[in-house]
Amino acid sequence: MSPLLIALLGVLLIPLFVATWRTSLLGLSCQGLLIAWIAFRLEKPEMTLGTALTVLDLVVVRALAAPLALYLVRSAQNPPRRNDVIPPNMLSWSLVLGLVLLAFRLAAVVVPQDGDQQTLVAVSSSGLLLGLMVLSTQLNVFSQIVAVVRMENAIALFELGGQHHDVSPLVRVGQIAVLIISVLLYRWYLSTLNVEGSPSAPPSPEAPAL
Amino acid sequence: MSPLLLVLIPALGVLLLGSRSGRARAPALLLGVATLELLVALVIAFEASDTGYFHGYVMVDPTARLFATVIDLIFFGIAVYVWNRVREAPALETGIERFVALALVFLGAANLALFANHLLLIWILLELTTLTAAPLIVRPGVLSSRRASWHYFLFSSVGLGFALIGFFCLARSLDADGREATFFLNELAARVGGPADPWRKLGLALVFLGFGTKLGLAPMYSWLPEAYDEAPPATTALLAAVQFNCALVGLLRVVQVYRSADPELVSTQLVVIGLASMAVSTVSIIATRNIKRLIAYGSINHAGVIAIGLGVGKAASYGLLLYVVSNAFIKAILFLTVGKIKAHYHTKDTREISGLIKDLPYSGTFLMIGTFALLGFPPFGSFRGELLILSGLVGTGQVLVFAVFCALITISFVATGRTVFPMIWGEPKKKVTWPPQTALAAAPKMVFLAALVAMGIYMPSGVDLLFRQVATSLGGP
Repeated sequence: MSPLLIALLGVLLIPLFVATWRTSLLGLSCQGLLIAWIAFRLEKPEMTLGTALTVLDLVVVRALAAPLALYLVRSAQNPPRRNDVIPPNMLSWSLVLGLVLLAFRLAAVVVPQDGDQQTLVAVSSSGLLLGLMVLSTQLNVFSQIVAVVRMENAIALFELGGQHHDVSPLVRVGQIAVLIISVLLYRWYLSTLNVEGSPSAPPSPEAPAL
Repeated sequence: MSPLLLVLIPALGVLLLGSRSGRARAPALLLGVATLELLVALVIAFEASDTGYFHGYVMVDPTARLFATVIDLIFFGIAVYVWNRVREAPALETGIERFVALALVFLGAANLALFANHLLLIWILLELTTLTAAPLIVRPGVLSSRRASWHYFLFSSVGLGFALIGFFCLARSLDADGREATFFLNELAARVGGPADPWRKLGLALVFLGFGTKLGLAPMYSWLPEAYDEAPPATTALLAAVQFNCALVGLLRVVQVYRSADPELVSTQLVVIGLASMAVSTVSIIATRNIKRLIAYGSINHAGVIAIGLGVGKAASYGLLLYVVSNAFIKAILFLTVGKIKAHYHTKDTREISGLIKDLPYSGTFLMIGTFALLGFPPFGSFRGELLILSGLVGTGQVLVFAVFCALITISFVATGRTVFPMIWGEPKKKVTWPPQTALAAAPKMVFLAALVAMGIYMPSGVDLLFRQVATSLGGP
């Protein structure tokens, strides 16, 4: 499983350095697919309801639907190709590497035995910390959305490492429903905030409020 | 009576909104559902039986019974406000069914979150309240409200994400200890024990940070003043008085389980977060000249006091509950009143508003009383609650925390009074005609006010018993 986790770490890092909005969305898609692959390596795939829900969550929603939904809105806005996810300077790049090292250090504290579990915790912590870093340095809505989805993917990866026997399919459906509605809302904000935020948008008079 | 009714009634309301007649009477439908919900919540509150439903995923206990009553009473007040506001301003009828539908889903999710006995179910339901509240913050044609809505959604997603990782860390702590991991609260209470390992420490820190974000506690509080300021008053009241309590109950559930195993860890984290929140809100109260933001910073201040009370536990538990419930009513009164004031003056700048007691006697009086309650004056429940929390601090030997607490409260008291009192008693700056306010419009705020005074002076034995049962579950006597 470790090569998959290292590949996932690469997918987390590359969009930070290759600063185009398409790379960011491709990165989200690859993250979903790699996490799905890791899920099937952890548990032998059998045709159960749980497996179907995992496919729905990781492959259909995270790897395909979410990036595609954002892509459609973004491409309709015809934005510039370049989209810096982090400030393009040596300080930010050093900070990225420092956060990855910090994540591996944290993983070594909470999982003292070397192995897949430790790497899984390290990679998911890296995803989380890098997502936070993007959030703290970016004001643009698209970059913020990508950062939050990266964090949600990191949480999904972290969840895979635990043994949660008492989570019923209904609760899993609830979690997936929350994710789907969140993606729809991200799409809504991306389409409305970017348009209304442009200088050409005319100011509207304030109507009475409830 | 089953608590599932508290979900089924709003669901039925949403279905009725699908019909043409339902859409035409959306505000009345909202009011009808709110009334039924309040009645069901009251019946459940005073039924003695605490039972589980749906294989233990839903559980009736004193905490859920108390807070369901509080949020349903406040929701009822908001429904009356909305109904009356639409009557006053018929332009608001456009799109009201969207508000009602989202508010009903919000209500169902909020009620179920109180009765949920499973950490992941609580998380899903809190997310659902966030997903429905975020569009409600947006005012048509106001870009700043859309930005505030985005920031609210962004912070909530990140905060609840932290809480979710925290839950997984707590489960891993059980795994690491050789016990089977569970998310059921009643089973967790039986399984947690022994010294805290790194997973449990990390888990608790993340859960406190996550729920703290939803409560507007430092360090992730910056969404709160913006969202409370930009949202329509009815939505602000929903966020401040209903959702706040749902998130708080989530936090109480975790504290109920982990306090006995890790009293020092829980106490230290909560007291530090609480003092930090009080400090940042006090500075902001001094600086702001926006009445809605002032109350929003007051809410952060109150959330800080609540975190400290929760951290102290034991003797302060009863006072904490008085403070929490008072806080909900105070915020509902103040935000609904400020809605009226802003509609009258078309500004939120405190320097532009003066002579409210002459100009808008009802709203001026409610702002005055609400501010006194906010500042912790007697005879309100907030005064009694704050006093018990302070005595709890002294009783547990946390004298330094006590001193800092008192200093911060005093500064925020002076700063709030300096801004609000000239608004109430100053000379009116303009004279405008204002439609007379009906007693019905003021009735919900009168009920909240009566509850505030009752909590400060005398509580009926049944209500007092419910408070004491919840206080006991938090480690109180």
